[in-house]
Amino acid sequence: MAIEDYRGDVEMCCRCSACKHIPLQKVKGVEHSEACPSISRYNFHAYSGSGRLLIAKEMLTNGFNYTDKLLDIVYNCQMCGACDISCKYAMDMEVLLPINEFRIRCVETGHTHPALDKVIKSLRQQGTMVPGAKGKRAAWAQGLGLKDATKEKVEVYYHVGCLTSYDKDYQKLAKATAKILKKAGIDFGIGYENESCCGGRAFQMGYKDDFLKQARKNMAMLKKAGVKTLVTGCADGYQAFKVLYDRYNLKGELEVLHISEYFARLIKEGKLKLNKKVNMAVTYHDPCYLGRLGEPWIHWKGKRVPGYKFVFDPPKEYRRGTNGVYEPPREVLKSIPGLKLAEMDRIKEYAWCCGAGGGVNVSNPEFASWTATERIEEAESTGAEAIVTACPWCEQNFNQAIKESGSNLKVYDIVELVEKAV
Amino acid sequence: MAIKKDVYKEFEDVVGVENISDDPAIKAAYRSPDITVVLPGNTEEVAAVIRLCNKHRIPYKAQSTGWLLFAPTYDFIFLDLRRMNRIIEINEKNMYAVVEPYVISAELQGELFKRGMICNVKGSGSTCTALAMSGHGHMGLTTSTGDRNELATEWVTDEGEIVRIGTLGASDEWFCGDGPGPSLRGILRGGGVITKQATKVYHWPGPSEYPLEGLSPRYKLTKKPSELNMMVRYFSFPSIEKLIEAELKIGEAEIAFELMGFNPSMVSSNITTSNEEDFATLDRFTKEVQGPGFMVIIAGNYDEDFAYKKKVLAQIIKETGGQSLKAVEDPDVEATLLFQCTRVSASIRETFRAGGMFSSMMVQGQRYDNHVRWLEEAAVWKRELIKKGLVIADDGQQFGWGEEQGHLGHTEIFCRYNPYDEKSSEAVQKWMERVGKRALEGCFAVPSMGVLPVDVVGKKVSNYHIWFGKLKKAFDPNGVGEQTGFSYVGADSAAAHTSIYEKPEKAAKE
Amino acid sequence: MIKAEKLAKIVGAANVSQKPAVLEEYAADMSFVNVITPDYVVKPRNSDDIAKLVKLANQTRTPLVPVSSGPPHFRGDTVPGTGGAVIVDLSKMKKVIRVDRFHRVAMVEPGVTFGELIPAVEKEGLRLNMPLLPRKSKTVVGSMLEREPVVMPKYHWDISDPLACVEVVFGNGETFRTGQAAGPGTIEEQWAAGGAQKTPYGPGPAQWNRLVQGAQGTMGIVTWASLRCELKPKLEEPRLVGSADIERLFELVHWLVRLRLVNECLVLNNVNLAALMAKKWPADYQGIKDSLPTWVLFFNVAGYDYFPEERVRMQMKGISDLTNRIGLEAVRAVGRVSAAEMLKTVQRPSGEPYWKLRYKGACQDIFFITTYEKLEGQIGVMYELANEFGYPASDMGIYLQPVVQGANCHCEFNLFYDPENPAELERIEELYPIAIDALMATGAFFSRPYDKNARMIVNRDAAYVEALTRVKEILDPNRVMNPGKLCF
Repeated sequence: MAIEDYRGDVEMCCRCSACKHIPLQKVKGVEHSEACPSISRYNFHAYSGSGRLLIAKEMLTNGFNYTDKLLDIVYNCQMCGACDISCKYAMDMEVLLPINEFRIRCVETGHTHPALDKVIKSLRQQGTMVPGAKGKRAAWAQGLGLKDATKEKVEVYYHVGCLTSYDKDYQKLAKATAKILKKAGIDFGIGYENESCCGGRAFQMGYKDDFLKQARKNMAMLKKAGVKTLVTGCADGYQAFKVLYDRYNLKGELEVLHISEYFARLIKEGKLKLNKKVNMAVTYHDPCYLGRLGEPWIHWKGKRVPGYKFVFDPPKEYRRGTNGVYEPPREVLKSIPGLKLAEMDRIKEYAWCCGAGGGVNVSNPEFASWTATERIEEAESTGAEAIVTACPWCEQNFNQAIKESGSNLKVYDIVELVEKAV
Repeated sequence: MAIKKDVYKEFEDVVGVENISDDPAIKAAYRSPDITVVLPGNTEEVAAVIRLCNKHRIPYKAQSTGWLLFAPTYDFIFLDLRRMNRIIEINEKNMYAVVEPYVISAELQGELFKRGMICNVKGSGSTCTALAMSGHGHMGLTTSTGDRNELATEWVTDEGEIVRIGTLGASDEWFCGDGPGPSLRGILRGGGVITKQATKVYHWPGPSEYPLEGLSPRYKLTKKPSELNMMVRYFSFPSIEKLIEAELKIGEAEIAFELMGFNPSMVSSNITTSNEEDFATLDRFTKEVQGPGFMVIIAGNYDEDFAYKKKVLAQIIKETGGQSLKAVEDPDVEATLLFQCTRVSASIRETFRAGGMFSSMMVQGQRYDNHVRWLEEAAVWKRELIKKGLVIADDGQQFGWGEEQGHLGHTEIFCRYNPYDEKSSEAVQKWMERVGKRALEGCFAVPSMGVLPVDVVGKKVSNYHIWFGKLKKAFDPNGVGEQTGFSYVGADSAAAHTSIYEKPEKAAKE
Repeated sequence: MIKAEKLAKIVGAANVSQKPAVLEEYAADMSFVNVITPDYVVKPRNSDDIAKLVKLANQTRTPLVPVSSGPPHFRGDTVPGTGGAVIVDLSKMKKVIRVDRFHRVAMVEPGVTFGELIPAVEKEGLRLNMPLLPRKSKTVVGSMLEREPVVMPKYHWDISDPLACVEVVFGNGETFRTGQAAGPGTIEEQWAAGGAQKTPYGPGPAQWNRLVQGAQGTMGIVTWASLRCELKPKLEEPRLVGSADIERLFELVHWLVRLRLVNECLVLNNVNLAALMAKKWPADYQGIKDSLPTWVLFFNVAGYDYFPEERVRMQMKGISDLTNRIGLEAVRAVGRVSAAEMLKTVQRPSGEPYWKLRYKGACQDIFFITTYEKLEGQIGVMYELANEFGYPASDMGIYLQPVVQGANCHCEFNLFYDPENPAELERIEELYPIAIDALMATGAFFSRPYDKNARMIVNRDAAYVEALTRVKEILDPNRVMNPGKLCF
């Protein structure tokens, strides 16, 4: 699919501004009513979901005109999908997909962002989205005696992810995950140096070809290793394997689980027992790519029915964020004794983005930080001492914002709290 | 056409470099190639921008969320009021709230719910401005209508003068918008920009927050409406006359919180989450209803009040031969309609989802039975278009609702169609003209703006266009204010919408 | 000066007067404005007469002063503000043009009084939302154009209610119809199409009726008006609540109005309530006053067509929940005043003499719009001032009327005085503007500024005056309409 294939969708935009807000019956007041970090920060309509569609419509009609402003609009979007979900509360049309395709078109025509190019360079050279990454990908696993899934068959493949592998601040998550899986008696392994970036973030950023390269490479490795079940603690990774790979018919029969889903299953099966008290008041942040965008892909092929209605044959089923991963992380948190969970105003399918997505954490760190700060304040308003989430990119962005703002809020990944409770 | 660089700089000096743009990408999102967009942050900036427009004779247009915006067709300064989004005050004792233009109704309503109050929400939905303005809303039986909710107002005229109307000018307060002497509320909607306004708010007997569970697009109320002393029903009637009789009786008996004259297609659109589901549901509803109908929401302030209101409703329905739509008696469906029709959060489903566009003929004011009679004729002509396959096949009916316990009302009929289909667009435009002409000939109503030339209409309506023209000239001597005709109350979307980039015959000078 | 024949040609010789005694009647009223004798008093018979009069006034630059109610007048707005004026007395235009039960609307000419309209609408099962005991000669149109507060806040959605549409001859002589009445079609054609001139807004974006209301005849002359009517209840249960605690009382008022439990709803102090209810003077008055607490709230619960007893019972339950919570009691009688008597009284115009004049012969009203929380403070200010000027606070009547469904409160001080007593006259004349000043400083909004004080009140906001003046220039470019009033 290319942007041209979404012409019908971009023409459907009636400029109702629902894309700027969380679903209207969830709005409790002026505070925390907005859904889209981009329009919230930059105010011109162009920065909203609707604005992006209307720009696409104009350019499909009158030709693409790549001004600096256009690229500023394009790249200052976390690709979080909030606009898509809010719109689809009422409308039958795609929003995020054409926005994504527009970005892909920008990349294809050489209109890239230098900061993102740098990240992609690292991907191409080292298979990681962490530029300047040094050393081995699995250095964190040294001495832990973890199975190499490419050398011996395992029941569960643990895909660690780029940030967790390479960033010293987040390697603890990998170690914690390994520890927990061991304690639960799970037969698991990692890919060691055969693990490579899932490519999901590259896709968000518009580098479709790089994503496909990574996807094919990863699936080849997993197929060869006979992996049936993959778990990961990174929301981007989860969405890549579960949704994107499926979208491009690469996933096959691979079962993909986020680590929180897997832990929830293990707790239910009695394999994972959380006995230690963790006395803490927390709030949970739904990562966009685990939550609303983690919904399984719907394979559909059809044609628009000619006429005045925007309908298709066969009828098109839309992904509206209903089937994202929302409950398993909450179930896990609720299973931790002593932990008190208070919800923020914007949760689940209408959660406010952490700010890191779409490459914004590198292309515009100030905007990423601004977005995270909004979320930190929202978390603090619940009275929580800590914000818990399920994606290292979210955690990194929150930590950065907390450092800058001087907030006392703590940031935890769900696996860290499980580790404390095990 | 862009404004000159030095002129651009003058505007930039007012709002700051971050808040002005004439980049093609920015303009594309506003669907006009000929604008410079500015984002003023406060009243003084609005006034300064408008004064510059006067200085350089550049027309301007101001807008908040811009639901269904159709760009004027000449070069202009576009004021996007997005940065003016504060709730200034909520006075519970005297029941008013003061808002800036970009506070949306959903936000104000959310705040008011916490205090046991509610505001009028325009029929276009709760993403629209909470300013009173001319917006008529479905809850008008209880929450009045449009500009009748206005109290004190801060207004920037088309010359950039700040006029503080009512108590605001006298003592910096918000509770009254009229005087001293005659009320300048009389000329508020003739032009200029409202930068802050107090609006009346009302008692809300419902919960401080709807207890919802589930995920988009299908939320569920965790309580039955009856547990909240609320009830939603849809009744169809053997004839429009019986419907009107019932509607009037309900208004006079003062028992309904909301009476929304949905036709079955709107009910089905409202409660369904996709077009396919919508059309299937409509099929089912169409077979069940006996004729035109309405949805009514009863809300009891306390148990006895609720019981009384339900009893009276049952009696009125019995007297008028109304029939309840079984689907709406299902507590789940009832609950969905309850929260969606009081939060007015699903109007997009009713209007745009099917085809992306609708063209509406609407009229506000006395509803029974002049407006109803007129739009019954319009409905007959609409059904001809349906037969020819030019517009979306729904029940072909008009709809409307009473306001202020039936004293006033809103009556409307629209066609949903594909605006990029030339045949459809042309047919709808012709239908609008025909309906508009009939309004004039039959002395039923003043047709929506833009349907017929304003002097053709004005001649038959006390030459109001000449009087209004004088007002316009007095307050907009340089002609920079909105010139999209003399907007009829609440209706600004009646024109055909296919040519978004229509070039003007006379572009504004640089 | 216009020649009398020219006027006679328009309205008929019998309707033109230059008799000194007649002119004197129209030269002054009970306000403190300067006395300026008009040149003529004319009594037009219909809208055609009025249009011709206004056109003539434009040709000759003759000031016109419209008046519809009969004497006594109090506000200085219906007497000449300049010399050479012609009084346009509309009291002869007494047609009740239409009463329409289905649409709940009536249409009247300007000379129709409340006493004349009430029976006409009652015949159709309707009633008016009317001011508190208007004088016998007070006209309905006059009252609505003045935006007088009305006693049923529940039905007072907008401050312009119950006025719907008007036909007005603007100051330039052109006739215009506001709201739905504007068109399309003549009034008769509109009726045939089912229209009833009910909708007040428009035509177009402007709300023309709002420019005519409150204008004191400075924009044009209304030739007829339509007004919204309410249903006549099938059952009524009036009650009284006495209290010395105004804050508590208004807590109850807020909820009664907010929950739409009551029709009539107003608060009077003991002075005013006694003045209203006394039949024999002065004995009755003093006795009644002494029997009352400082404040008395009067409200009325109504049942209509559907199960009226049940409705009243249901609303009474809601009310008693409120009174229990707030710590007040609603009763059928307070002191010597019965709620039933009170109800009969407020649903009719005042008997003769006008209730405000019975005590001492004259009354200076000081009224403004305010909010509930300011009331106590503002009443305190007025008491203090009254004492300072030697006006016994125990003689001052106070009327508090929630309006616009509780968004505003009309606060009125009635200063009774003996007009034959020069000392009392002087005291009132001095106190009046000082009181206005002092009250404005507390946030009192004098939305209806009259007589000598109007200019002072209106001119406080230059931008407002400038805008209003532009409207005036459109509607009355030659400034023939009631010059010297407001800021004109």
